[in-house]
Amino acid sequence: MHISLTVNRGTHTMDVEPRASLLDALRDGVGLTGAKHGCDRGECGTCTILVDGRPIYSCLALACEYQGRSIETIEGLADGDELHPLQRAFVAADALQCGFCTPGQILSATALLRAHRRPTDAEITHAMAGNLCRCGTYPKIRKAIRLAAEDGGGR
Amino acid sequence: MTRFVTTTVEIEGREETKVVEMPAFDPAPWGPDAKLEVVGERVPRLDGVDKVTGRARYTHDVRLPGMLHARVIRATVPAGRVTHLDLSRARALPGVHATLTAADMPRIPWLGEEPLFGSEIHYWGQPIAAVAAETEAVARDAVRSARVSYRAEPFRVDLPTAGSVRTGHFGVTPPEIRREERGNVAAALGEADATVTATYRVPVALHQALETHGAVVSWEGDRVTVYDSTQGIFRVRSELAQHLGIGQHQIRVISEYMGGGFGAKSSCGAYTIAAALLSKETGRPVRCVWDRHEECVDAGHRPETAFRVTAAARRDGTLVALDVEAWVAMGVVGWAGGPGKIFQEQYRCPNVRVVQHFWYGNVGGMEAFRGPFHVEGAFALESAIDLLAQKLGLDPLEVRRKNHATEDPVKARPYTTELLGECWDEVATRIGWEKARKKKKEGGRFVRGVGIASQVWGAAGGPPAYALVRLNRDGTALVQTGTQDLGTGARTIFAQIAAAALGLPLADVRIVIGDTDAGPYTNTSWGSMTTPSVGPAVRMAAEDAKRQLFEIAAELLKSSPDQLEASGGRISVRGGAPSIAIREITAKLGDIMLIGRGQRGPNPEGVTMRSFGAQAAEVEVDRVTGRVRVLRIVAAHDCGRVINPELAESQLHGGIILGLGYALFERRESDAKLGRPLNLGLHEYKIPTHADIPEIDARIISVADPAANHVGAKGLAEAPIIPTAPAIANAVFDALGVQVTELPLTPSRVLEAIKTAR
Repeated sequence: MHISLTVNRGTHTMDVEPRASLLDALRDGVGLTGAKHGCDRGECGTCTILVDGRPIYSCLALACEYQGRSIETIEGLADGDELHPLQRAFVAADALQCGFCTPGQILSATALLRAHRRPTDAEITHAMAGNLCRCGTYPKIRKAIRLAAEDGGGR
Repeated sequence: MTRFVTTTVEIEGREETKVVEMPAFDPAPWGPDAKLEVVGERVPRLDGVDKVTGRARYTHDVRLPGMLHARVIRATVPAGRVTHLDLSRARALPGVHATLTAADMPRIPWLGEEPLFGSEIHYWGQPIAAVAAETEAVARDAVRSARVSYRAEPFRVDLPTAGSVRTGHFGVTPPEIRREERGNVAAALGEADATVTATYRVPVALHQALETHGAVVSWEGDRVTVYDSTQGIFRVRSELAQHLGIGQHQIRVISEYMGGGFGAKSSCGAYTIAAALLSKETGRPVRCVWDRHEECVDAGHRPETAFRVTAAARRDGTLVALDVEAWVAMGVVGWAGGPGKIFQEQYRCPNVRVVQHFWYGNVGGMEAFRGPFHVEGAFALESAIDLLAQKLGLDPLEVRRKNHATEDPVKARPYTTELLGECWDEVATRIGWEKARKKKKEGGRFVRGVGIASQVWGAAGGPPAYALVRLNRDGTALVQTGTQDLGTGARTIFAQIAAAALGLPLADVRIVIGDTDAGPYTNTSWGSMTTPSVGPAVRMAAEDAKRQLFEIAAELLKSSPDQLEASGGRISVRGGAPSIAIREITAKLGDIMLIGRGQRGPNPEGVTMRSFGAQAAEVEVDRVTGRVRVLRIVAAHDCGRVINPELAESQLHGGIILGLGYALFERRESDAKLGRPLNLGLHEYKIPTHADIPEIDARIISVADPAANHVGAKGLAEAPIIPTAPAIANAVFDALGVQVTELPLTPSRVLEAIKTAR
């Protein structure tokens, strides 16, 4: 079927099977591979993207159902060469190792900071608990979120 | 003229003798007092921006024009024979381009001597054929449409614990049994003041890298380009060349970014071979990537192991004997290292007997997993030490100090450096050991405890490893080396080492890794050996380029090369005024390119190189629900010179958090009657999340080990997982007064232990 998706403020049209996930449409249809296939079962959070500002697991979403919605991926977070405060903070705090989960972590944290400019520890835990990291960067991700909060990351 | 020497390299507990050529020159070691720029600084990861913007391209992300998607058909019986394999329906599906069975391919020895896609089945999930289709979804449809019949045979997936294990490799070969003894354990046991005996058990644990195993292969004419999520690009190249019967020069392996390995991505996988053969067949690039379930069945594991440990000591805590028998469930194939080794090398004990049974059964083969075997052994050893301390009425830390191995107890020779005592002191101070241990346990629902554990790990690396440094005419440098970055930060630290040795700002150095066509050979990234193996090669290449610069600069500055030093992009006469920018020299040279060549030299003789560490944990146990909550972990580690403290700290966090999961939740269950693993995926197999992380205070206390190599660095990556689970278990022991003898420390096991203590 022919669908049209609004991704990072641009419009992308493509042909997909009706069963195609939003993750597959982004990776194979739009060519944005920042969101990853960690499990394809809604367990790991590497496919996290924002839809109308809310984080979702794009592997569990049907692409055809997301036409007309505002989709944000990691590729759209920076303003040209100017990194988003969370992206800067993740680099500064070394809140990444292999980096495979990083796009999903940053997008969950983006939604968190938009909702809570100065999140509490409990709010960070709650917002981030669906994003797994096997390298064990959790303490530094927490640190990066606090750094970004001070740096106006909720914009 | 090249002179060849033999040297010993230890990789995860096994020693290999290698013949290597002596380097043309030996840079002066960077000792503890060396004044270095860039090295030792908290430089942000060079690939950080690529990773936070989504630009970093992983194997999973490779999209080539016309690329097909391959999937594998897997056995649905744990043992037997494929009697009928019908792929006609798969081939008839629109979008399916090719199928691959044993009949269509060269015989590639896979499980021992048995071929890949062979008809003898030894585990549930064993690959038996592959398909390639336009999309991943169609490839899945094709797999589902395959018709396979089996003649089932008896199998065994659970680990026997009795001393008489009869089932062997595929039920034919007896288990491999290794017996080693230092001193005389039987005699020593007779003379001990106190003896404890206990059984300990650890589960099957899965690596669960978030990027599953996979490859994209493009076979064009006589050239094969392989994008592979691997810890060893050169190893994949040589193995694939052998499997395919082509020259290594025809294969290029690329691993620019990879989403974690932890030991399981060290060789050429069935996915790589299938993608290569299907690419040759179809004339199109082919992607073959395991899904999460396949990752949990057929991508290696840390083996389940059972231990029977006897530890004996004199009244003052001096160990007189350690007697351990271990049963290791390898799976169908594996590498028989050994969980007994840490018993031989962690403490000074004159009498140590190790009997190890390596049992081969009907589950997928094991793979090395961060600190392989030492992690399993450390839980049994460190638990036994605490049990012994309890029996003697001594502080467990004092018992450890009493048995401090200040020299290598296996080879009876000195260590290059050894700071285990300092590590113990450091963690004891930071956790508040004395006070916390003396605190009387109250009888309420929640009870706290602290525990400590130690670690020793061979992490010195060794040859061969090579690097090149090219100086551009604008005075910038390109470093080329055939290593790979698993997420450890290798890319960054080698650029730091090159910058420090050249005297260039880091911004003027670019490094290319992860491509067999773009850099010379280095070893696989395993055994915590990348930094101490490749680091000296990179430094030597940079020093070689600098030596050439100094020869030219000496003429221009009217000095001699041995009077010069380089710093901040300038070469100056030591202690004097005249100086010249490196870029001025290279500009004068024009397109004459100075190329520095570096290699890792042999390891020193007559000494042992180890990394050491200690961790302490504080826990709170809920005596009603049995839940263990880890409140705090403090860690102190000794790994020689730290190239980048920020990245080293990240490695410590990573090891500790992996160890926390091993201690508390992780276990792959297999059903003994069905013969298959049950809890597949990341929901059923639980790894730590943001919500599980305690306060972690992890530091490295070492400065440099210039006797190990001229960079002074030893490896780190694996060391920090080793003491975490035993420190947590010993803290639970402190809280409850009774040991939980099996990992993970689940609520039911904790409650069971509380019940037996009553």
